[in-house]
Amino acid sequence: MISDITLGQFFPGSSILHRLDPRTKLLLSLLYIIGVFLLNTPMAFILYTLITLSLILASRISMRVILKGIKPIVIVLIFTMIINILLTSGEGEPLFSFLIFAVYKEGIIRAFFMAYRVIMLIVGSSVLLTYTTSPIALTDGLESLLSPLKLIKVPVHLFAMMMTIALRFIPTLIEETETIMNAQKSRGANFTEGSIIKRARALIPILVPLFVSSFKRAEELAVAMECRCYRGDVGRTKMNKLKYRLRDILWLTVGALLFAGLILLSVKSAELSALGEAMRILFYKI
Amino acid sequence: MEKIRIEGVSFIYSKGTPFERRALDGVSCSFEAGKITCLIGHTGSGKSTLVNLLNGLYRPTEGKVYLDGEDIWARPKKITDIRRRVGLVMQYPEYQLFDETVYSDIAFGPKNLGLDAGEIDLRVREAIAFVGLDEALLSKSPFELSGGQKRRVAIAGIIAMRPEVLVLDEPAAGLDPRGRREILGGLTRYVRERGITLILVSHSMEDMASYCDNVVVMKDAKVFMQGTVDEVFSHPDELDAVGLDTPEITKLAQGLIQAGIVLSGALYTVEDVRDAILRYIGGNAQ
Ligand SMILES: Nc1ncnc2c1ncn2[C@@H]1O[C@H](COP(=O)(O)OP(=O)(O)OP(=O)(O)O)[C@@H](O)[C@H]1O
Ligand SMILES: [Mg+2]
Repeated sequence: MISDITLGQFFPGSSILHRLDPRTKLLLSLLYIIGVFLLNTPMAFILYTLITLSLILASRISMRVILKGIKPIVIVLIFTMIINILLTSGEGEPLFSFLIFAVYKEGIIRAFFMAYRVIMLIVGSSVLLTYTTSPIALTDGLESLLSPLKLIKVPVHLFAMMMTIALRFIPTLIEETETIMNAQKSRGANFTEGSIIKRARALIPILVPLFVSSFKRAEELAVAMECRCYRGDVGRTKMNKLKYRLRDILWLTVGALLFAGLILLSVKSAELSALGEAMRILFYKI
Repeated sequence: MEKIRIEGVSFIYSKGTPFERRALDGVSCSFEAGKITCLIGHTGSGKSTLVNLLNGLYRPTEGKVYLDGEDIWARPKKITDIRRRVGLVMQYPEYQLFDETVYSDIAFGPKNLGLDAGEIDLRVREAIAFVGLDEALLSKSPFELSGGQKRRVAIAGIIAMRPEVLVLDEPAAGLDPRGRREILGGLTRYVRERGITLILVSHSMEDMASYCDNVVVMKDAKVFMQGTVDEVFSHPDELDAVGLDTPEITKLAQGLIQAGIVLSGALYTVEDVRDAILRYIGGNAQ
């Protein structure tokens, strides 16, 4: 069932990760994501795997859920790995070749690193953010972190509100898609057979009702918000104010130390200064 | 004779995630051919889940569903045939309309059956008559109709497929009393005329008393009681325990009985009570 997709879903709980301030988690995941792209020595990979495993343990989210979250991208991942292996050329003799392809050691290493990075990226950011942070807390944190931008007239609150609403309605939309699909299946619709054109046409009976109800819902929501006198963030107070606690400072410190260690591990042999190299790799990879 | 039999069926939503929920727990019941059976129970008792199993939209986690004595999941590839034989109108079906005109929306099901234009035309007109809609509406957009009209169009869309079993999930929810009477009256007339098996999900004891032959009472994911309308109504205390009220008119009749007016026979519908009162007056007059 589509509603069984776990990627991007929040799992309520009371683990230490659940209790951290969302801003701490946002900053940590930023470091984590940059870190993933810095990895280039076996030692760094081992360190990263350990960090990720401890994060999973700290979140008390079951391994099954985590694996299920990776499942949807496995096919894409395998496909990119194959492309990487086939199309990367390296120095020296190829390991073996067939047809027009030659497989080099570099290709295999690169494919492996790429897959590892993507998986870490997904696991890390889901464990740090989506699985353990409610959408509301997430956008609150984001708004607070970005609030300095308000000085240069960036409508931060508006973006945060839009994001909250979008996140809030994803599960609703998924549920609705499933209901409508079931309804059309009951009327003999078939989404899995026939030519591509036929299958694309079969989507019309799903998409039209989905659009209609989404627009209707958006309008109702807007009216409901206006009825409660919503008019943006000017003069608006918060019921749950975000507050840094001791644990947030601890986690941020540990995170920063690990990050610094990672930079040293990754670029210790480089001719360029450590930071310069890190930036170069970072921007190159992104 | 049984048309549909359910044996030891359990159904679990989101199996294997923290949101796992057992919506049906070892349910066994049967629906007689050519009879109208009411599926009744409080909110969340699993009625909708059960009806979604009847035409193979959901597959039971455990247990079997038999249609005419054959396991509907014996050949999963042929499940679309089951959906043609068991027509399901889901809860709030008005959100599934999608086509440009009412006519083509009702024709969607018959078209999927591969019928020719003449037959489709015949069925559309017949179906719309049964749900009590004017033919003038056929050329309108379904999005221009009122809620009750949309509901009727959606029901007509299933009737036009001429299923052997018709399953309606709360067809009258949210309609005014006259709308309820028209829809339910039209439907029951239609199924009695054609000898179709009708399964009606409802919250309302009044509906059940006025339109149904048999009753299945659900409680907390289980079948709580099952039998003819008279059998089920003869256990008012148990019904009370599941939060199902006796019909208002029955309460009135009981009040009359307590006041010394001895009414006899079934007292579940306004007609029942009217006749009982007439009998009482007639008896006193002699
Ligand atoms: N798509 C779903 N995912 C997870 N749980 C669900 C889903 N649909 C229903 N449930 C749960 O299963 C249980 C049975 O729901 P169901 O819709 O069958 O009840 P119902 O008897 O039809 O109620 P109502 O009278 O309100 O329509 C409920 O507790 C509900 O929370
Ligand atoms: Mg229901």
